[in-house]
Amino acid sequence: MITKKQKQNLADIVGEDYFSSEKFMTDIYSSDIAALPGIVNDVINPQAEAVAQPTTTEIVSNLLKYCKQHNIPVVPRGHGTSGYGGALPTRGGLVVEMTRLNEIHHIDRDNMTVEVGSGIIWGKLIEDLEDEGLAVAAYPSSAPSSTVAGWVAAGGSGIGSTKYGGISEQVVDLEVVLPDGEVIRTKDTSEEVFKIETGKKVFKGDDNFHWEVSDNVPYSADSTQLFVDSNGTLGIITKVLLKIIPLRNIRPITASFRSQNLMAGALLDILEATRPFYLHFITDKFYRMLRKVDQAPPTTGEFIISCAFEGSDDEIETEIEKLKHIVSRYSGTVESMEVADHEWDERFYPMRIKRLGPSLAPSEVYVPLENLDGYLNHVNKHFKAEEFALEGAITDRGEVAVLTWFPDDERRRISFLTGWYRSLDVINIGLKHGGRAYSIGMWNAAHSRSYYGKDNYAKMSALKRKKDKKGYLNSHKVFPGPLVLSTRLNLLIMVIAGIVAPIVIWLAGILVPSIIQAYVPWVVVNNLPSFLIWFVVGLLVGFIVTEFANLIPISVVLSIGTPFLRFFRKIFH
Amino acid sequence: MTKPYEPLKFEGLDIEPTVCAKCGFCTFVCPAYLDTLWDSQSPRGKLHQLRSLIKDNKPIPSDLAARIFYCTLCGACQEICQTNIPLLRFWQLARQEIGNLNKWPEIVNYIDDSLQQTQNIMEMDQADRTLWTDMVDDLVEDKIGIEAEVAYFAGCNISFKGTLAHMGENTVKVMNAAGVDFTILADEEFCCGNPYFVAGGFENGKELATHNLKALKRLGVKTVVFNCPGCHRAFAEEYPHLLGKEAVEGFEFLPFSEFVLRLLKEGKIKFDKDYPHEVAWHDPCELGRHQNIYNPAREVLNAIPGLKLKEMKHNRNKARCCGGGGLLKGTNPVASVRISARRIEAAEKTGASIMSSECPSCTMSLNDGIEHLESQMKFKDLSQIVAEALGL
Repeated sequence: MITKKQKQNLADIVGEDYFSSEKFMTDIYSSDIAALPGIVNDVINPQAEAVAQPTTTEIVSNLLKYCKQHNIPVVPRGHGTSGYGGALPTRGGLVVEMTRLNEIHHIDRDNMTVEVGSGIIWGKLIEDLEDEGLAVAAYPSSAPSSTVAGWVAAGGSGIGSTKYGGISEQVVDLEVVLPDGEVIRTKDTSEEVFKIETGKKVFKGDDNFHWEVSDNVPYSADSTQLFVDSNGTLGIITKVLLKIIPLRNIRPITASFRSQNLMAGALLDILEATRPFYLHFITDKFYRMLRKVDQAPPTTGEFIISCAFEGSDDEIETEIEKLKHIVSRYSGTVESMEVADHEWDERFYPMRIKRLGPSLAPSEVYVPLENLDGYLNHVNKHFKAEEFALEGAITDRGEVAVLTWFPDDERRRISFLTGWYRSLDVINIGLKHGGRAYSIGMWNAAHSRSYYGKDNYAKMSALKRKKDKKGYLNSHKVFPGPLVLSTRLNLLIMVIAGIVAPIVIWLAGILVPSIIQAYVPWVVVNNLPSFLIWFVVGLLVGFIVTEFANLIPISVVLSIGTPFLRFFRKIFH
Repeated sequence: MTKPYEPLKFEGLDIEPTVCAKCGFCTFVCPAYLDTLWDSQSPRGKLHQLRSLIKDNKPIPSDLAARIFYCTLCGACQEICQTNIPLLRFWQLARQEIGNLNKWPEIVNYIDDSLQQTQNIMEMDQADRTLWTDMVDDLVEDKIGIEAEVAYFAGCNISFKGTLAHMGENTVKVMNAAGVDFTILADEEFCCGNPYFVAGGFENGKELATHNLKALKRLGVKTVVFNCPGCHRAFAEEYPHLLGKEAVEGFEFLPFSEFVLRLLKEGKIKFDKDYPHEVAWHDPCELGRHQNIYNPAREVLNAIPGLKLKEMKHNRNKARCCGGGGLLKGTNPVASVRISARRIEAAEKTGASIMSSECPSCTMSLNDGIEHLESQMKFKDLSQIVAEALGL
């Protein structure tokens, strides 16, 4: 709980105009693009108490120093365009929104880099670089509204990643404000930053949650990659030094196929024979949904590959000729330029089909391209009773970021809640096919260790332990955190326990009186005072239950809960 | 008394806040958001708040009502929307709901009173409708209220604001040079009703619409020419919506640019003089995004010898707003000027010395922006460029 005085102090640090604690404002900054089942509000506390929009690195540093000192939870936020919960508050606190750090500081043509404020929007950066005859090598499909550091913090791949890699390949250096307010440049990080002063083997990430880390973390001066993908748990990024490339022609081309395996085969060959800038597919289910919302131009087949090549006209022409041969080998059809342009323009619009829901439950996982066909077959079989759409984008590592969309209706509470299992199942199926989680955020925190790799995760944990022992900075993200039951749910559990306890005792007295008399004759409910006594005992038991519940990590709850959700979905759907 | 959110529910748009993907694409094209950088000001933020209000049938609170009017209705949000939400209509109906709650901003109530009493937004006597003709008296003195196939509909801004009268003068000069037989309605011209449509006061606008169409029909008019895209949109889109398509049957409504282009193609006017200027073109929202009319003005400008058309980075359907739409000039004039200044900054980047458009509201706003920035750019309305290029 941020006190009134603390709010005033925070407003003084960031400036009155850049601070708000009004309810309508904190509501808006307490969500990302994912619609969450109502019960989530009762098991974490996704309601920020205040929002700050810092305008300089120094202000970010001062904010963090103040919040750490007063144990105010802080959630860094770009523009809230992800759906993995990385920017969701979990214990109230302060949301630090970075969109005012939006300058282009320096373009270095010799080293082909650009230094930008962390909150600049990709779309704006792309436009401004274009004026200089330059371009970024890769950008996210949310580029019209997502911030540069938002993608850096969330990780992943995007448009251009087929040729130039994901965001981690684009970042050269970062300016980061660590949880204790220290400002560092990641490319040349002092050893002092990582030096562990205590020899403790247990990291206390949250007050109530512990896990082990190793102290034997090798030091490397360039810690940039440690902060990429780290969801703002290790610090708040304030500047990003990105690779840039010369602005060159981009020509899209689209091909359609009659079946999934032909499409999957063609994708493999295209990646082997050419170097596309962008390589993306949608399956028949997605195509049909797009048709329902008037966004599918007529094509010969319903399995669509959209591709774009970048380079000189001659280079592009050569690549397109190769692609045409592959398409014909797989009995596909190269569609018209109008279709290709349409698909290229639609690269920013994966959620067109949301209108069919009107909600969408998404899930994304990386799968090796050679296993794509098997993975898609598995998903199709697993969710045969569900309506869903599949699309994917291929990266330079030969992986496919497969995105599954389940149209749903958040207004139907129970069915929407039970449908949550699908998002978790998609990832598990992906793992079975040699894949990995796409991004960690909050909902995939259970996969952190395998996602980051043992060594990297150990380094991250060590830094977290050193700089943010209490886990005030973006708690529950990357490092799993426990439930934060709402007061409403706490009281409900206590009252239910209070009522159930005397009723159970009363029923036991009727059903098995001999056992009660023999072993616990003092356990009896036969009048109002005894009912009240056991009601109070029940309340206390309920209280203990809630305290225990507040120790259970969300990731564990999700793992245990998924089979139940799946079971209830079958009943209610 | 209407039921909560009846305007939105009647048109089935009450679900749209739930359809919103919260992707935020609308934020960085929204002039109001860019003015504040607070999400509460963006379409996404407003929809977020409306979603739970509509669900719970709770009335729009005053602060949200004010924010819904802190919007130029430029339609950039609709253009970029991930889920194709008809946001222009949505905001109009949300404003209607605000009107139903008697929470219209003071300026809207003032305009409402003015329109009820004087049939124009300036609260001036209808007899002064021809004030703008002072400088072209000789060209219009025998055109008032006569029967003709072509009518020039000046609109309230041009009729009553001296700084905009030149638009009417130039149009009349061009018509005269082309030998067009035209009429003007003078005091029979009532406000087109656009301020009502923008504020969601559709029923109030009905009477004005009916009167204007009746007056035009009485004079045997077939083609109505407008300098004001707001008036044009009211006639071309709102009137049929409000009164039925049959009410506008037999009429064609032309913006100035389209009318001039027709005169050019028919050979009734010809640009002979050299006009050695670079011109940055600003697409008025109510003509461009709202009605998908982008080319006529460009064709006219390209037909002028020596004139070099310079496109701004954000043009056509991606053009940014001048800050003058949606009644923002009345509800939040300071913000409106800041938005205008941003558009001027973008125009300066083209290197052009002149900025042009065809809209009285854009003219006012962009001139304010030039003044605010102390820019060296000059703003010239399309009619002015055409008249100068024709040597009129």
